[in-house]
Amino acid sequence: MSKLAIRTWAAAGLAVVVAATSLYVPEASAHGEKSQQAFLRMRTLHWYDLNWSTDKLRVNEKMTVSGKIHVFKNWPETTANPEHSPAFLNIGIPGPVFTRVESYMGGQFVPRSVNLELGKNYTFKVVLQARRPGRWHMHTMMNVEAAGPIIGPGIDGSMADYKHVLTTLTGNTVDIEKVGTAGIWGWSFFWIFFGFAWIGYWAAKPVFVPRYMARKAGDESIVSPTDVKVGLGFMVATLIITWVGYNAGNSANPITIPLQAGVIGVMEPIPEGAPTVEAKVEQATYRVPGRSVILKVRVNNRGISPVQVAEFETAGIRFLNGSVYKDETNYPPQLLAPEGLSVDDNSPILPGQSKVITLTGTDAAWENERIADVIYDPDSRFGGLLFFVDSSGFRSMAAVGGPLLPRFT
Amino acid sequence: MSSLSPTVFTKAEIIQASRTADWLILVFAFLVFTGGFHVHAMLTMGDWDFWTDWKDRRLWVTVTPIMCITFPAAVQYWMWDKLRLPLGATFTILGLLFGEWVNRYFNFWGWTYFPINFVWAATLVPGAIILDVILLWSKSFLITAVIGGLAFGLIFYPGNWSMLAVLHQPVEYNGMVMTIADIQGYHYVRTGTPEYIRFVEKGTLRTFGKDVVPVSAFFSGFICILIYFIWHFFGRWYSTTRFIDQY
Amino acid sequence: MAASSSAISRAVTAEQPGFLNHRNLWLVVAGFTFFNLFVRWYEEVYGWSAGLDAFAPEFKTYWMNFLYTEWVLEIVFFSYIGAYLWKTRTRDMDAVTPREEMHRHFHHFVWLLAYGMAIYWGASFYTEQDGTWHQTVIRDTDFTPSHVIEFYMSYPIYIITGWGAFMYARTRIPMFSKGVSLPYLVVVVGPFMILPNVGLNEWGHTFWWMEELFVAPLHYGFVFFGWMALGLCGLLSQIFERISELAGPALGTAPAPASKASY
Repeated sequence: MSKLAIRTWAAAGLAVVVAATSLYVPEASAHGEKSQQAFLRMRTLHWYDLNWSTDKLRVNEKMTVSGKIHVFKNWPETTANPEHSPAFLNIGIPGPVFTRVESYMGGQFVPRSVNLELGKNYTFKVVLQARRPGRWHMHTMMNVEAAGPIIGPGIDGSMADYKHVLTTLTGNTVDIEKVGTAGIWGWSFFWIFFGFAWIGYWAAKPVFVPRYMARKAGDESIVSPTDVKVGLGFMVATLIITWVGYNAGNSANPITIPLQAGVIGVMEPIPEGAPTVEAKVEQATYRVPGRSVILKVRVNNRGISPVQVAEFETAGIRFLNGSVYKDETNYPPQLLAPEGLSVDDNSPILPGQSKVITLTGTDAAWENERIADVIYDPDSRFGGLLFFVDSSGFRSMAAVGGPLLPRFT
Repeated sequence: MSSLSPTVFTKAEIIQASRTADWLILVFAFLVFTGGFHVHAMLTMGDWDFWTDWKDRRLWVTVTPIMCITFPAAVQYWMWDKLRLPLGATFTILGLLFGEWVNRYFNFWGWTYFPINFVWAATLVPGAIILDVILLWSKSFLITAVIGGLAFGLIFYPGNWSMLAVLHQPVEYNGMVMTIADIQGYHYVRTGTPEYIRFVEKGTLRTFGKDVVPVSAFFSGFICILIYFIWHFFGRWYSTTRFIDQY
Repeated sequence: MAASSSAISRAVTAEQPGFLNHRNLWLVVAGFTFFNLFVRWYEEVYGWSAGLDAFAPEFKTYWMNFLYTEWVLEIVFFSYIGAYLWKTRTRDMDAVTPREEMHRHFHHFVWLLAYGMAIYWGASFYTEQDGTWHQTVIRDTDFTPSHVIEFYMSYPIYIITGWGAFMYARTRIPMFSKGVSLPYLVVVVGPFMILPNVGLNEWGHTFWWMEELFVAPLHYGFVFFGWMALGLCGLLSQIFERISELAGPALGTAPAPASKASY
């Protein structure tokens, strides 16, 4: 990946290790999304119209990732589907290098899990606040981690400066990053020292072999009345200190509520009418030597203007019909084939016309992103989105899918 | 075995050797028990302990003491029965906390940058001290199981509330009410632990309003009694001094 | 006679204060500590820069090569330690003097300390660490950096250390040479079984559990074998029994009879 965007790194943490690595600047590339079986990536969620607001920011600055999700109708039965199981709009970043401060689906704030309907489209937006300097890879992500990766931004600054301040409903102003930390250290280590004091009381006297011998000889004097008194002292102190701590917690925070949980509900999809363009795959083959997929598609234009095929998208890889459509979103180059889609008959499909066209999507991304492995999957079927445009630039979308036949020669 | 003359070793050197052995054994027993106990604990109650947005009123309170009275009961048996040392619970619990805290600080925070106020380890020391002292005072595994086990379950929540309360303050966040702990869980992105995977109280028609915690703690204490019994037998079995001929 | 024995005894004591070889002790402590600090440093640097995507070429350089090196070294160490200890074993245990035996018990304690450190780093430090690493990568390979360290480095290290300790006792200490200590087998073989149990873990994660839920029943195999660490209780009782036999006369107590298994 490209140049690093950062020069400093927070020195908090393990002194030895951090000091030893202070010259090292983190740079994260992809983190594992390619491992998923290809048919899962092609037949679960399709992320499209992705936008990200910046590719360089400082600690505490915010960025937005937004776009749309198509929930594939022919969802593989091997994976729980979000109609019945909770789905959580996550973000694929290497841990909390950003914090997620807002996330929405269909305009609804979604800090918890939701349900989605198969075959529908949803808008989404995630707002992230930069926390750890570095150049990070990120991708959109839902519970089954069907992912459309995008190259994330670089972050400048120092993690020690990261802040996220909120006011509670009881009027306290708190920084989420630090609230309660002093009490956690204080109480935890008080109890640990207290426990070691109890061990120390006994370890000050001979511990193992002499006690073993005495015990074996039936000598019960190794536990003296003083020991019992000291023990009871420890226990009474434990009870009193716990009581004091509990009350201190209550009096400092007189109003508390339980953790909030539960599925938020079914999200509102993007409203849609009857499809203007219908597409049905009649045959799909994957040519292994040429790294190309060949789709024979019957297209039925039910709209009012002529349309042309603009794009085929699957598993985040976009094959564009270069003579019809150009990408202007700065989409990651390894996932974009700007001239990757050829059409045997590129002439516009007229309103009311139904014709069979052959699309060929060719790019090394089939191999590099491990989509070609679909032919070795236990369910060799594919899924994807076909986009059509008319002369005014209006886009129609049709989900396609079906068996994918390999051609090895 | 060789016959031993009283003059093979001097008394002073035996005393010194015994003391050296004490420290060595304390250290390596601490480490071995820590390894076994920490594996057990992290894989039976770990997620509740890792994240504050799992530290709820129902399952965290119930599960943690039940899973953590195990090694204390077993080691208490060995230490008390063989050595008359009332240390088994505190010794193993401190081992567990040592393992957890080193990890939370150097790995959860030091390697992957989750802040400590999100990933702190719950304390179990008060319950451990009570278990040890009740055994010392009563000299009975039965009484330790019944009173100590119950106390171990009951004291867990109040012992941790001093740290947790501040994270249960309510916040209005984008139009929804959330605790600070919920916001932490939302905030600090975990790619492997999505929100829906949390096992936390979601409420039922049957809960007694605000009395959820005492019910959970009492139930936990009850199960702790039973687990103590079972694990004190584990202590017996693992204390075997058998030699075998075939293996 | 008694006086001269006592004089000899005192002379020997003057030559060798205590029974513990402090140099070995500190070598073990320093060795484990610095080795693991190095590993942790390696994770910090190459986990983030080369370990996030198992399909990247740098992953192969920094992690797969690390893994292959581990495997070779582990097989070599395991074989060498076992073979060396066996080849140099004490053939006539009856000739071992009480003083020599006491020295060997302390040497054995150093072995057990090594085992304790190895178990701590493996079962505690690197195992819980895995939980947080899985929050940064999608579970993309069994050989993700935390696994390369946890499963394939730290577990074999404690297995080799436990094997060494067991073999030391078996080949050097009279009581452990005359029968096989059941608790010793438990405390060494039980945690060893955690490594084969990785097979269950990876099978489960491959076929149905993608998320990182530590308390998932899939992991209970690790838990069960972790319990075996408690075998240390019985092992220590056996050692205390013998040390009290050795030390008893000097303390003026009659040698206690050898303990019989009571459970």
